[in-house]
Amino acid sequence: MASHSCFFKTKSLLQPIQAEKTSSNITPLGDSSVLLSFENIIDPVINKRVLSLHEALTKSGFKGFIESVPAYASLAVFYDIPTIARHTNSSPYSIIKNHLLTLLSQIETEIESVKPTIKIPVCYDAEFGADLHYLAEYHQLTIDEIIRLHTALVYRVYMIGFMPGFAYMGSVDDRLTTPRKVQPRINVPAGSVGIAGSQTGIYPIDSPGGWQIIGKTPLQLFNTSQSAPCLLAAGDQVKFISIDKNEFQQIHGH
Amino acid sequence: MGIKITRPGIFTTIQDLGRYGYRSVGIGPGGAMDLFAATVANYLVENDKNSPVIEMHFPAAEMTFETTALVSIAGGDFSASLNDAPVSLWKPFFAQANDRLTFKKQVSGARVYIAIHGGIKAENWLNSCSTHTKVKAGGYKGRTLLKDDRIEMNKRISRFSIKHFPELKSIIQPVYEMPKLVRSIAGPEWDLIKEVSRSIFSTSPFLITADSDRMGFRLKGNNLSMQAKVQLISSPVNYGTIQLLPNGQLIVLMADHQTTGGYPRIAHVISADLPKLAQSGIHSNIQFKMIAHQNAADALLSLHQTLTTVKNNCNLFYAIHRHQL
Repeated sequence: MASHSCFFKTKSLLQPIQAEKTSSNITPLGDSSVLLSFENIIDPVINKRVLSLHEALTKSGFKGFIESVPAYASLAVFYDIPTIARHTNSSPYSIIKNHLLTLLSQIETEIESVKPTIKIPVCYDAEFGADLHYLAEYHQLTIDEIIRLHTALVYRVYMIGFMPGFAYMGSVDDRLTTPRKVQPRINVPAGSVGIAGSQTGIYPIDSPGGWQIIGKTPLQLFNTSQSAPCLLAAGDQVKFISIDKNEFQQIHGH
Repeated sequence: MGIKITRPGIFTTIQDLGRYGYRSVGIGPGGAMDLFAATVANYLVENDKNSPVIEMHFPAAEMTFETTALVSIAGGDFSASLNDAPVSLWKPFFAQANDRLTFKKQVSGARVYIAIHGGIKAENWLNSCSTHTKVKAGGYKGRTLLKDDRIEMNKRISRFSIKHFPELKSIIQPVYEMPKLVRSIAGPEWDLIKEVSRSIFSTSPFLITADSDRMGFRLKGNNLSMQAKVQLISSPVNYGTIQLLPNGQLIVLMADHQTTGGYPRIAHVISADLPKLAQSGIHSNIQFKMIAHQNAADALLSLHQTLTTVKNNCNLFYAIHRHQL
């Protein structure tokens, strides 16, 4: 992964989170996990709250804590019942729930570090972007306009999920918002950049998939030989840079 | 010295108890489908519970031992035979150089675990030897076992008498009792399905269809529906999460499930019943029974108590019989 180390974040700036109250709901997610859900919407303020809570939980740990999983507007905390039961007589669920509520009240004034923008080169060639022409027709845009719109914004990585290292990013310009394919592809090659609704994402490994594919990055987003196998993490800022096929081959070859 | 695979079987992989701490980057725990059987298999041969084991389906793999090994077989009953002589489930036995382990018939269960005293060598990826076939990492070269693969054993061992190994079946059997009855608890979206659907869920049978695998069990049964159409944004899921698909049918997420999903999570199979669900093969019927959340936690604690009893019995046996070595 050394070839794209230049795209990595190097320092972190601090920026306060908006302190407005967001309603939340805590439910079991099976017998060994608690789910905290905010409003069912894609919103950077809510997502920041989720990630702050994820960070706070991971730092604080607690006896029996396994891991915490942040998503767009929800977070799951996985715990080991036998370990918790050894230390207390109360129900493990209520203990974790109370712990979450305490942390939630504490992060009101927390701050999220803003990471520098990670630049990701993308070749928007019809060879790699199998749905480019479909999108152009669907939105009555030229291919160049699609490239210009997709590369114009800095996207937030809201969450990693679905498969190892798959970053859900958003939101794309309204003029690019496109529904998923009716019939998903059996195989989407690793590196493919796609759009689904208002989200954009990159397939880290070859996989079946229904996103509209508009290009491909020569970067490796997922590498099992690294101790941190994923290039992107929730909370990252991403900007796509248009490259041609020559540049693609050059970076890919490294 | 090790074990040579002479016939691959269907989706034979190396698994341990799972890969934890990476769900936030989209990597699920994976691990043995029947965590109870995998753990017991290890205890039976005096291994650490998280030691890598071989997970098999039917038709199962066949293998030849290249040296003396203390072996255990746990989980489903595939009528295991060593050189055509039957060997018992849930009990250790010795295999010697050139002995052939084969599985003749699927008598019961859907997954079998093989553990070897001292453990087998496997590739550790992100603190687990479980095979992640999708990213091709962990276990044996990140893939299913094939003909002529050789699995190395960590330790050499000499034979000793295991004639007096305790009978543990009566302790283990209750975990798999009433195989069709799967206890479950309400999921985050339980209240969003129609009342009639809630009643169908807990009273009618569901068939495990042929397109079920380590990622999920696709069920066929009466259609369930939501009170109103909802579009959920992606949110975490777990082993045992029961999702309602847009076509009204259900899927139970199994060991190799995705970390997040967007379908309504109407219920969860309780952890204590995942071993018996994992042992339910395709074409078998199951029925869900809703129970209280606290009872699910108690059932899991009781399952762990069973594991502790099994472990203590095994350790006591080896503590006494090691003197005879």
